[in-house]
Amino acid sequence: MLPYMPPGNDIEFVLYDLFDAETEWAQIPAFDSFDRDTVRAIVTECGKLARDVMAPLSQSSDEEGAHWNDGVVTAPEGFKDAYAALAAGGWLGVSGNPEFGGQGLPKMLTASLEEMFWGANTNLWLYATLTVGAAICVDAHADEDTRRLYLPKFYSGEWTGAMALTEAHAGTDLGLIRTRATPRSDGHYSITGTKIFITSGEHDLVKNIVHLVLAKVPDAPAGSRGISLFLVPKYIPGDDGLLGERNGFESASIEHKMGIKGSATSVINYGDAIGYLIGEPNQGLACMFTMMNYERLSVGIQGLGLAERAYQMSSSYAKERVQGRVPEGSRVANTDADAIVGHPDVRRMLLTQRAYNEGGRAFSMYVGLQLDRAKYAPIEAVREKASGFVDLLTPVAKAFITDRGLECTLLGQQVFGGHGYIREWGVEQLVRDVRIAQIYEGANGIQALDLVLRKVLRDGGATVGELIDDIRQTEVPERYTAAMDEALNAWQEVTRWLCDSAPSDSNLPGAASVDYLDVTGHVLYAWMWARMAGVSGSTDKRYVADYYFAKLLPRYYSLVASIRGGSASLMEPSSDWF
Amino acid sequence: MDYQTPLRDMRFLINDVLDFDGHYEAIESDASRELVDTILEQCARFAENELFPLRASGDKTGCSWNDGVVTTPAGFAEAYATYVQGGWPSIAGNPAFGGQGLPRSISLWVEEIMASANMAWTMYGSLSRAAINAIDSHGSDDLKATFLPSLISGEWTGTMCLTEPHCGSDVGLLNTRAEPHADGSYRISGTKIFISSGDHDLADNIVHLVLARLPDSPAGTKGISLFVVPKLLDGALNGVVCGAIEDKMGIHGNATCTLHFEDSCGYLVGHANDGMRCMFTMMNEARILVGTQGVCLMELGYQVSLQYATERLQMRSASGPKSPDRPADPILVHPDVRRMLLTQKAFLEGGRVMTYFAAQLSDIAHRGSGDDRASAERLLDLMTPIVKGFVTETAFEAVNHALQIHGGHGFIRETGVEQLVRDARITLIYEGTTQIQALDLLGRKVVMNQGKALMSFIEMIRAEADLQSGGPFASALRELADQWGELALGLGGKATGDVDEIGAASVDFLMYSGYATMAYFWARIARVASAREDDAFMRGKVKTAQFFFDRILPRANAHHRAALSGADSLMDVSASEFGHH
Ligand SMILES: Cc1cc2nc3c(=O)[nH]c(=O)nc-3n(C[C@H](O)[C@H](O)[C@H](O)COP(=O)(O)OP(=O)(O)OC[C@H]3O[C@@H](n4cnc5c(N)ncnc54)[C@H](O)[C@@H]3O)c2cc1C
Ligand SMILES: Cc1cc2nc3c(=O)[nH]c(=O)nc-3n(C[C@H](O)[C@H](O)[C@H](O)COP(=O)(O)OP(=O)(O)OC[C@H]3O[C@@H](n4cnc5c(N)ncnc54)[C@H](O)[C@@H]3O)c2cc1C
Repeated sequence: MLPYMPPGNDIEFVLYDLFDAETEWAQIPAFDSFDRDTVRAIVTECGKLARDVMAPLSQSSDEEGAHWNDGVVTAPEGFKDAYAALAAGGWLGVSGNPEFGGQGLPKMLTASLEEMFWGANTNLWLYATLTVGAAICVDAHADEDTRRLYLPKFYSGEWTGAMALTEAHAGTDLGLIRTRATPRSDGHYSITGTKIFITSGEHDLVKNIVHLVLAKVPDAPAGSRGISLFLVPKYIPGDDGLLGERNGFESASIEHKMGIKGSATSVINYGDAIGYLIGEPNQGLACMFTMMNYERLSVGIQGLGLAERAYQMSSSYAKERVQGRVPEGSRVANTDADAIVGHPDVRRMLLTQRAYNEGGRAFSMYVGLQLDRAKYAPIEAVREKASGFVDLLTPVAKAFITDRGLECTLLGQQVFGGHGYIREWGVEQLVRDVRIAQIYEGANGIQALDLVLRKVLRDGGATVGELIDDIRQTEVPERYTAAMDEALNAWQEVTRWLCDSAPSDSNLPGAASVDYLDVTGHVLYAWMWARMAGVSGSTDKRYVADYYFAKLLPRYYSLVASIRGGSASLMEPSSDWF
Repeated sequence: MDYQTPLRDMRFLINDVLDFDGHYEAIESDASRELVDTILEQCARFAENELFPLRASGDKTGCSWNDGVVTTPAGFAEAYATYVQGGWPSIAGNPAFGGQGLPRSISLWVEEIMASANMAWTMYGSLSRAAINAIDSHGSDDLKATFLPSLISGEWTGTMCLTEPHCGSDVGLLNTRAEPHADGSYRISGTKIFISSGDHDLADNIVHLVLARLPDSPAGTKGISLFVVPKLLDGALNGVVCGAIEDKMGIHGNATCTLHFEDSCGYLVGHANDGMRCMFTMMNEARILVGTQGVCLMELGYQVSLQYATERLQMRSASGPKSPDRPADPILVHPDVRRMLLTQKAFLEGGRVMTYFAAQLSDIAHRGSGDDRASAERLLDLMTPIVKGFVTETAFEAVNHALQIHGGHGFIRETGVEQLVRDARITLIYEGTTQIQALDLLGRKVVMNQGKALMSFIEMIRAEADLQSGGPFASALRELADQWGELALGLGGKATGDVDEIGAASVDFLMYSGYATMAYFWARIARVASAREDDAFMRGKVKTAQFFFDRILPRANAHHRAALSGADSLMDVSASEFGHH
């Protein structure tokens, strides 16, 4: 199979040419040591690891899958060493808190590193990504001792993390969970219950696995206000970090799935396992939310990484595969057929991938930039504004990038014709591996609902308005200004229409949500493309920007029309009519 | 997982919307409504009881290959024997060779019922029908007498062998050779890949229809001939070796074979160098059949996701609790879950009526006479790429909605919906990819034909709009009729100036055409159904039509814009600029 090709140059383009990282980071004391050379070295090293260590194990891990035997879970062959290499390189601590051994890199940068990890081997990176999430959560909400004990182990990769939210009857609706936390005499809790779908809940890559578990304390209020968060390690560490007794939980089975077969998804039974409360009782969901913005962006980037891989494979195939005659004029003499890259429609498939991928890279790094500003900007007003943008854009990053991820991996597969359907070629795996990203970390329908209800309607469209103002103030090349204006107006108008109409129709937000998220994504990518074409000296970006404006941006017209189609046609039929 | 044949919907479309009674009378077939009913019911029983239980297990085990011998999943051979005993393969077969001589439309419905229950299994028989048609239409009397009786009875199965490692879309590149032999037969040599049902253990013999080149034949598609090559000839092996089977994304129960022909004895079908034309007889019907596969997968996806949506409790309705006595409401109350269900329903039932309409045209094209026949043929030519391309694209979207409604459970194999997604994916590829359908539609069926067939369909849309004058869909239909015609004209004009225009606009034009065609049928369905307001089924039809016009049809606009935006943004980029960073 084609080796993975790290998109290092484009990452640097986005960092420096598009978002002027130098100026940006100079204003933030925590980042002022990241000069260009350092950053280039990080991006290059990361790319090498992705290409040489991670990518070669992707296909074999899909073939082999993870194994379960009487509670013992074994990751696919080669994962243990590869994971050790990730840990040894310090890659698990890149965004970690420097106080506890993390490297504190800007999110704008680590977003791009994650793209390479996901793209090279989603199956392997899944064992790591939840560790990053768990560390964020512990850093933000745990007490000093817990942070001192756990964070260095997470950042060094010695221990991994897992998130245990879902139960058989409770996925979206976590208020329904039944796992119980009963106080023990030592001040800690005893956790009992069954969680399902727990990624990396059990495996053999490292010695200790630390679960963050949502459970209910006695007399907790019903619903989502009665959920608490607990830290539940597989082996209970002493204060010195040495591992002690085995805690009371185990993997009851692992799932057979459509994709990410190399990632072990466990049913976990907790039987009187010791749990340490994180944050206040009944504040568990709020604690989770801190980390959710990062995790959702990360899952969005999963979609991007796999889509980028699909582009790499399909663009290279399209140049080699000869089939049919391209329209006269561009034919190669003395051949029976031409490379399929000459067919207009194959170009449509390649350019669509390229436009959504490079647009997605810029957009995901833009959201990373806003996360950095929200956390580190010296001026409070800047922090606040960025934090508003983060809230607004997180559901878009999760859902829009993963929806495009499915679209692009499918196009990549289609370029391969019948060969794309055959496992050996490796491209159908991308489709199967990306499909989950539309589901976990909150199904994409739920992201859309979050966007419309909480991020748009709640402030009457104020944050969207603020972002639109920002967009209007950026300079974009003349050739795109008319289309850009038209798109912004449409977005603004449909936002206003939603805000005006929702109070009298409680079903409208849910009826419009997915289309609205799609409009938002398409307009934001147009902004990315216009800006990229503006700052890039090469024709590459201009070609793709032209294509985006001609062929992809027009999608928002029909989406707006569908939003204005209202909710009646959805809600009129009674439930038993279906 | 449960599956029930949607007999009510099938009958509604057959009888009320498309008036097959009248149609059968017009083509002088004695197929009666009672007969059709009996066939559908019995077939439904067979499919639900014998085929559906093998769907998931067939996916799980897949086929196996051992030293040239292919074994199908457990139960497949027994089910196939029952199918043959029941006389199912012979429904539309030529009575002169043991067939029942019923119209092809009926065999399409039988196919639909079986493939909804088990697509991978059904494919073993589907390809036989294509082989039968090719031999019956183009073969000599001898060939017919030798091969048709056993193919029609189902004792033997058939295949279509076009693809080779270096040629798929571009069949003209093929290398398989045919050398004339003294006794009038040929010796076939070469390698074919991706041959569905190319080898298996269901039937006594397998009859391959193979495209190959005669010595000194012209290059390209003009030098291709069609041969029939049996696996066994007079009981002895005939040099057809199955070298491997593919490990695929889906349809695991159907063996996709690499076949080596090693001096195999074959017989010419039709004239030398006329293979492409003969092949198209098979292909056109096969393309409608692939559209039907899309319908089948949507049907099962809709049934299981609807069931799940009524049972799964998660969150409260935005307009207040709907099941206050339970811990949460069924997810069916949420607008976005309804959007996913209604989108499936719209594509499913809209796609179904499109395939039935094509089947009606195909009946007329085979049995009608005079002008009727000629215009049916023209319209069928137009509809074929739309049914193949658009129905499968929307089917793929629909089964993904079915998966999504299941949340995380949809991703788990034992739930059974992810199989639908994996199985559906192939329908966008084989029998000519979506892209090839799109080129066929815009290039051959619209521009080369000066839009004649399209204009006749557009006239049907206008007539429907007139019938519905003042109704909720009339003006949208009129707009579509105008816009579709103008779009075709506009693209035709551009194509004369720039050869890349056809290819650049083709897929957007195909999708536009699909939405327009489906809009016409939904309007027509709503007209029929609105006369029967007292019936929930009929009200549902009207509401789904409304949903289609409100929420789905607007997509046509985006395709319209993109199709007209020209080829430059596609063609400016040079091949090397498609490289990486
Ligand atoms: C491979 C895999 C790995 C996973 N890893 C983890 C993990 O590590 N930790 C963990 O805790 N969980 C994990 N999950 C679980 C995952 O996060 C949930 O599956 C997901 O949140 C959806 O929940 P659900 O499956 O219960 O779907 P449901 O909540 O039942 O949703 C079903 C459908 O209904 C829709 N829906 C529900 N409510 C509404 C509403 N109010 N409005 C509109 N639509 C609605 C949803 O969008 C969805 O389409 C994993 C799942 C899988 C498959
Ligand atoms: C499971 C399976 C079962 C199959 N069963 C059979 C069978 O029974 N018999 C049989 O003969 N074959 C069979 N096939 C082969 C199938 O029909 C071909 O794979 C298909 O026709 C595409 O050909 P290809 O794979 O060579 O792709 P290619 O022709 O190489 O196409 C690659 C890509 O280029 C595009 N492309 C090619 N030419 C053009 C053009 N002129 N303009 C625009 N785009 C273009 C295509 O759309 C595609 O996206 C099967 C394949 C599979 C995977």
